Amino acid sequence: MTTGRSMRAGEAVLGGGLIALGGLIAVETMLTPSVGRAVVGPALFPYLISGGLVLVGLSLLREAFAGAIAHAEGLELDLWAVALVAAGLAVQFLLLETLGWIPSTTILFAAVARAFGGRRLAVNLAIGLALAAFTFVTFNYGLGLNLPEGSIVERLTSPDAE
Amino acid sequence: METLAALGHGFLVALTPYNLLWSAIGVTVGTAVGVLPGIGPALTVALLLPVTYGLEPTSAFIMFAGIYYGAMYGGSTTSILLNAPGESGSIVTAIDGHAMARQGRGAQALATAAIGSFIAGTIATAALTFVAPLMVKLALLFGPAEYFALMVLALTTVTAVLGSSLARGLASLFLGLALGLVGIDMQTGQARLAFGVPELLDGIDTVVVAVGLFAVGETLYVASRHRFETEEIYALKGSKWMSREDWSRSWKPWLRGTLLGFPIGTLPAGGSEIPTFLSYLVEKRLAKKPEEFGKGAIEAVAGPEAANNASAAGVLAPLLSLGLPTSATAAIMLAAFQQYGLQPGPTLFDNNPELVWGMIASLYIGNVLLLVLNLPLVGFWVKLLLIPRPWLYAGILVFSSLGAYTLNNNVVDLVILWVIGLVGFGMRVLNVPVAPCVVGLILGPLAEQQFRRALAISQGDPSVFLTHPISAALLIIAALLVIGPMVLRYRNNGAGNGSSSSPSGTHPAT
Repeated sequence: MTTGRSMRAGEAVLGGGLIALGGLIAVETMLTPSVGRAVVGPALFPYLISGGLVLVGLSLLREAFAGAIAHAEGLELDLWAVALVAAGLAVQFLLLETLGWIPSTTILFAAVARAFGGRRLAVNLAIGLALAAFTFVTFNYGLGLNLPEGSIVERLTSPDAE
Repeated sequence: METLAALGHGFLVALTPYNLLWSAIGVTVGTAVGVLPGIGPALTVALLLPVTYGLEPTSAFIMFAGIYYGAMYGGSTTSILLNAPGESGSIVTAIDGHAMARQGRGAQALATAAIGSFIAGTIATAALTFVAPLMVKLALLFGPAEYFALMVLALTTVTAVLGSSLARGLASLFLGLALGLVGIDMQTGQARLAFGVPELLDGIDTVVVAVGLFAVGETLYVASRHRFETEEIYALKGSKWMSREDWSRSWKPWLRGTLLGFPIGTLPAGGSEIPTFLSYLVEKRLAKKPEEFGKGAIEAVAGPEAANNASAAGVLAPLLSLGLPTSATAAIMLAAFQQYGLQPGPTLFDNNPELVWGMIASLYIGNVLLLVLNLPLVGFWVKLLLIPRPWLYAGILVFSSLGAYTLNNNVVDLVILWVIGLVGFGMRVLNVPVAPCVVGLILGPLAEQQFRRALAISQGDPSVFLTHPISAALLIIAALLVIGPMVLRYRNNGAGNGSSSSPSGTHPAT
């Protein structure tokens, strides 16, 4: 359950985040030595955009504390499900190159399915595996793309490749 | 005459069996993916990008044209039967379309949407055929200063028109502009904001950001709301055909919707949201029984759906002839062009006539194929709505990660996808529109390029943007669009704070 008060906090975080991003862009641009002698260098737009970010961030902060916000009456959010989906994606990109497309994507599928209330883990894993294998075969052999096989698998299938 | 000859040549390209096959595949997968809940046209195009990587550009864009129109047709099915509009252009359709489905008239709602889309799409494609070359002539008058002003206007309209508050629209826009800065500066070769990560030197891909916001962010949001919301799907029953009365109540709204949709679609006015809404208001004003509106009036489905499809064709005119995307979907199409090293604009018409005209011709063909696919086979598409939600969203994320990874074959894009997805979730919860971010990301660097070119030509004199009449006029319109509503709001402020709360769940990500 998320209350109106935490929605305001969320809006404040967004505003603060934009101000921080604006500051980061300005600092990074200042630290980058400028090259070239064009009339307008590569630093002008970063400064303009960082200025815009700070202004918008300030106006959001003002709205967060004194103005109209979305869902001011609060909004129920199942943050556990959000965390599970996010974790599934993180596991996939962390394991993709070592384990390969098929196992890491199967884990992603099962994690997301669980987050949406699918309780039969074995069935979800099986469907995930089938989908991952199907996409791997279609895209790598049918469409000539390069989904990773996984460094572990490569080492197993060609042991003398060192 | 010149145009007709070019179009005829385009038909010769599009009607070769090979290209016809890709067009048919495009409309079919476009419809299939577009029907899936939570997937609007922008995401459909982004997710299906990898499928076209193996094709040569002409066939790829013929397929894209099919995907684009197919996704529009598919989206109306979802909004009518599930009340889950996939993009802002279908919000209006969902109101009465879903009401009709509740009364067991879902089949008629789908039929009037499909036939209306066909008629509007065909008329609007014909209009596109003649308007695009005119716009190319206009584009030849444009120098860098005018292009810059036009891009500023497009960025402003996308931001000011969509969403509930200007501050939130601007937040999204500036986030997109900031993401657009990352990478090597096109004119000096200097790296900006890459923080020493080599993969960031090429910049952040528009497709990754679009998929992150529309797919990952949206999935996270739906996951968070899943337990608290119930869906109602209505099965199709009874006669599948429109009665004589349905026809006589539909044909005028189809034509009026087309008349509203195409011209507004060609303007930098944020795509289909305004014309669909206007069409609804016009039909309500003209209807014999306006009290039926909101409770299942067929006019309220026929008109906005026609307007939606006509504006989809209209959006292609500035995209092809000026390289100017005016909706999130068009931004992704532009990214697809860039993927092939092509820059839409007058030179594209000169250098790749078979691509441009083949694509336009395939829009006519796609429309016919879609009518055939959607009227008799609608029962099949409806079955796609019944995919259990856990598997549907898990599948969406599998294909999202596939699309992001295969862009450059690196994991960094998946990390960016993840971060953008989490940001997108936050934006969704806080009602921040995501379309300005996508359009800002792709237009920001182009606008900067034109700005610096203009100043290089004028030798550093910034008054160039105001002394050129077209540029000055465009910038003044853009300024009025931002300042006008602010002044109005300020004057109305005496009457208490307006509440900007809107019902949750019914608003799509755009």
